[in-house]
Amino acid sequence: MIRTNKGVLGVTTTMLTFALVLNACSGGGGAASGNASPSNAGGAAESPAAETATPADNAASALEPYTIKLVYTGAPQADETKVEAKLNEYLKDKINASIDLMPIDWGPWDDKINLMIASRQKVDIIFTAQWNKHAVNVAKGAFLDLGDLLNENGQDILKTLDPVFLEGAKINGKNYGVPTNKELAAQGGIIYRKDIADELGIDMTAVKTIADLDNVYKVVKEKHPELTPLYLKDGETFNSHYFGNYDALGDTSIPGIILKDEDGTTVKANYDVARYVDTLKLTRDFYKKGYINSDAATNQTMNYDAMKAGNVFSMTSSLKPGKDKELENQTGMTGKLAQLELNTKTIATSETAGSMLGISSTSEDPARAMMFINLLHSDKYVNNLLNFGIENDHYAKVSDEVIKSTDNTKNYNPGAAWMFGSQFLNYVWETEDPNKWEKFKEFNQNAKVSPGLGFVFDGESLKAEIGAVVNVDKQYLTALETGSVDVDKVLPEYTAKLKSAGIEKIIAEKQSQFDKFLASK
Amino acid sequence: MTLATNMRRYWIFYVMMAPGVLFLIFNNYIPMLGTVIAFKNVNYADGIINSPWVWFDNFKYLFKTSDAWIITRNTLLYNISFIILNMIVPVAFAIMLNEMKNKLMAKFHQAVIFLAYFLSMVVVSYLVYGFLHDTHGFVNTSIMKWLGLEPLQWYFETKIWPFLLPIINTWKNVGYYTVLYLAAIIGIDDEYYEAATIDGASKWQQIKSVTIPLLMPTIIVLTLLQIGRVFYADFGLFFQVPRESGPLFPVTNVIDTYVYRTFIAMGDIGLSSAAGLYQSLVGFILVFLSNWFVRRVDKDSALF
Amino acid sequence: MQTEMSKSGSNPFNAISPTANTIINIGFMLYTIACLLPILLIVMVSLSNEQDVLTKGYSFIPNQIDFTAYKFLFTDWQQILRSYGVTIFVTIAGTILSLIIMALYAYPISRTDFPHRKFFTFFIFFTMLFNGGLVPWYLVYVNMLNLRDNIWALVLPLLVSAFFVLVIRTFFQSTIPVAILEAAKIDGASEMLIFFRIVTPLSLPVLATVALFSTVNYWNDWFLSLVFITDDKTLSIQYLMYKMLLNIQFLASNSNAASAIAAAGGQVSFPNETVRMAMAIMGIGPIVFAYPFFQKYFVKGLTVGAVKG
Repeated sequence: MIRTNKGVLGVTTTMLTFALVLNACSGGGGAASGNASPSNAGGAAESPAAETATPADNAASALEPYTIKLVYTGAPQADETKVEAKLNEYLKDKINASIDLMPIDWGPWDDKINLMIASRQKVDIIFTAQWNKHAVNVAKGAFLDLGDLLNENGQDILKTLDPVFLEGAKINGKNYGVPTNKELAAQGGIIYRKDIADELGIDMTAVKTIADLDNVYKVVKEKHPELTPLYLKDGETFNSHYFGNYDALGDTSIPGIILKDEDGTTVKANYDVARYVDTLKLTRDFYKKGYINSDAATNQTMNYDAMKAGNVFSMTSSLKPGKDKELENQTGMTGKLAQLELNTKTIATSETAGSMLGISSTSEDPARAMMFINLLHSDKYVNNLLNFGIENDHYAKVSDEVIKSTDNTKNYNPGAAWMFGSQFLNYVWETEDPNKWEKFKEFNQNAKVSPGLGFVFDGESLKAEIGAVVNVDKQYLTALETGSVDVDKVLPEYTAKLKSAGIEKIIAEKQSQFDKFLASK
Repeated sequence: MTLATNMRRYWIFYVMMAPGVLFLIFNNYIPMLGTVIAFKNVNYADGIINSPWVWFDNFKYLFKTSDAWIITRNTLLYNISFIILNMIVPVAFAIMLNEMKNKLMAKFHQAVIFLAYFLSMVVVSYLVYGFLHDTHGFVNTSIMKWLGLEPLQWYFETKIWPFLLPIINTWKNVGYYTVLYLAAIIGIDDEYYEAATIDGASKWQQIKSVTIPLLMPTIIVLTLLQIGRVFYADFGLFFQVPRESGPLFPVTNVIDTYVYRTFIAMGDIGLSSAAGLYQSLVGFILVFLSNWFVRRVDKDSALF
Repeated sequence: MQTEMSKSGSNPFNAISPTANTIINIGFMLYTIACLLPILLIVMVSLSNEQDVLTKGYSFIPNQIDFTAYKFLFTDWQQILRSYGVTIFVTIAGTILSLIIMALYAYPISRTDFPHRKFFTFFIFFTMLFNGGLVPWYLVYVNMLNLRDNIWALVLPLLVSAFFVLVIRTFFQSTIPVAILEAAKIDGASEMLIFFRIVTPLSLPVLATVALFSTVNYWNDWFLSLVFITDDKTLSIQYLMYKMLLNIQFLASNSNAASAIAAAGGQVSFPNETVRMAMAIMGIGPIVFAYPFFQKYFVKGLTVGAVKG
């Protein structure tokens, strides 16, 4: 008897020991990995601000070597290691760091990033955006507050970036991501195959609204049955925020919207917005007519990848000057694409925080991560190397600012410039307008400013309701917005589910926070 | 005997078991301790241990939504239908294969029926997709046309999946169970049939009064094993085959897929753990209940 | 029971009526065809012309046999070869390790003289009753063991199945005569020697069955890749298939096929539907070829092992 008990005791002790190991690993984050760097903020359990206050020395030689892990979305490129090696060469002298690029495909991006954050993977820089659950992840403590880091190591960012960006991207008065320096205004529309439209003699200038597209698609479908007239997928539809001009006043996954192109300040659920419902019905009509890929609700192929495969006529897209040319380079369809704007140009918080680089709270050296972001905003060489690869290999220079493609372009052409630092540092492809950046600046003018600019909803107090709504959305939203299901039947069902999930509470809270913001303005 | 002598005599046994024990500790026992996550509001900045306790908030929230009811209902109803089908169909198949005169044909049929068991759920989802895809699928482009019916969007049609999934599950597993039952039937002593024939029993009567009663222990064991898992769904079947189609969730969401989605797609680890713990606890109780029940019916067939 | 198997099976004293026999035969014939049709459909679609598929839908009889899909698929042969490599490595390493670990665990708990037998039996049996759930399990592998994007993450989690350990234990208990073990011990053989020289050879039927189950489990696994693997270098063949069903452009956007399309300026389009099905054939193929071998041993193994367990 005693013998057995002793045995049990022994094993129990072992298990408790292991339990302690578990605590150490999952609790501290950095506890097990040691203090490899001078500004270790891995032990995020303590106040990160206090730790990062350690002054970081900018002289590269004084820094320990460190590998910065950069996580962003896009297809992995064949020559990634080659470009990494080139970057490392340069970064070694600058900030004594090397870089590990970790691209994740669009399809699994949401899931993988959730896993990465939930499992506290040690990475440094993560691409984040307001439409990508930025606020939710901030609330969970996934990103560091960048205030001090920006002042210490991000001086060039503060110098070059329009303060509107940092101001608009704040959550509770703090920045958790460095916005990309790019166009500020936003517009939505479609990108279509110009060669096909020309071949069929379709006058695209006559198209002013979504409804006008009906006739276009009809012709395309008749003459080119092998083409999908309109490719839609989860989050890329006529009802996407960029197309419908919906301002979610923060995280787009949280319900309650206002219209960016109007002056009303009443927060409404999307099912109460006439434009949203009408567009749903129109999309459904298109779907029934066979204009839309039938697997839109389940397909995970990113729309420009579908375009690349050559059997898609058009797709929805957020637009800016020269977007069509950018995509031509990315898809290899030079001279075959054109863009068509279908809504009013606006400026809203969602644009200022539409593309950011955040520093993960698991980063072992946030200061170094910020130094790298700083370089992306100020160092033309680093920026272009990351975006276009190696000169005379992945591209060749035509002039100082203009580049052309080479045979090897296909092995490194991530098309992710909008995610990294300052776009105004980017080279321009020879097929693009040489004055692209001037156009960008012009584009920012005369845009309608959303009544919600500068306001970000804080949903912390309603976490449970928001979770429930996100769950309901997962079930219905994509199917509805891609026209895959009968709107008259499913929309009321969806509405009822949202109401029981507590959507009205969220909207009331959003309205009251928004009213306070408006009053203080 | 003391522990010391034990250790001296059997130390090699502990060494032999060491890899297995180590595996069980990491793969099973430490995760069991990890169920504390279900009682916390995990904030990544504070880490799991230092995150605030919310006790039963995650559970309250889980049961407040209609999801808890739907996933429980789906898991139970599907599994019950699977268990019944996995009992009736293979027993019938095994009896018929056994009675078949052409043994070569019987072997051939058995081999083909068994094939599906070896296919992964990814392959199964391809096979189903080949039939049900709405524009190219064989059902819509051919069968519905022959029947003069309008094509249906199968991946949005909630009505058919409660029938489709049991059919797919049975199709996949029937071979496995048939082999087991067939072995049991072959093991039955011929004397029983001899005696029955002398009593003038017809074939049907022999099946009813000899084969099935003698199969009963096997049926009970195999069924009990499944009942013990009645709260655990076949993740692959419910995740791969309906292709994660949102509109189908009311009929395809089971506890396992819910746990997966709340964790991976929503990143809500507290809620996901709560659902997982709910599954473990109820599953635990059900194993005991079913075992207790079987014990009363047939003591030898009980698991423990 | 094993010896019984070698008999022809049904009782020779009375046979079913010819009518019943015919009905059963026809019934099975139909069912067998129904089982094979889905696979045939996939094969046929993979051999169809993309245009035909787009206009006529999937069909059992292609208008013309067309190997374009396979050509496109093989432009990215490195990925496919690599995925096969991953799957084969995982299957072989996993099966061998899992068999060794499980048998080594099962042997002591099968020995009635081992004093902690009950405790260790319960230690493994309890894992069948209760588990911690997906989240803590995942965190252990990723945070404690650091196995993200590591090929061992596809091996380790499937190493031990409590059920199989108990099956092996039961087999040891019921088929290995205690007298042999005693005799060996008197001869001075160590426990290890007894295990490897006496117990294992006598237990080949059950070990083979468990090995076959393991092989199938490892070969067919996609879930571990789904949660642990981000990197394209460690994609198993099943996971590659899963990704392609969701996103056929996964291949198009990464491969030389894409550059071929780009070179043609979008005039050539990627044969989505047929390539998808060709990929399915790549995944099904090996299993079907290995199947006759598998099936034979499975039936043998199942009838000696599982029923008793």
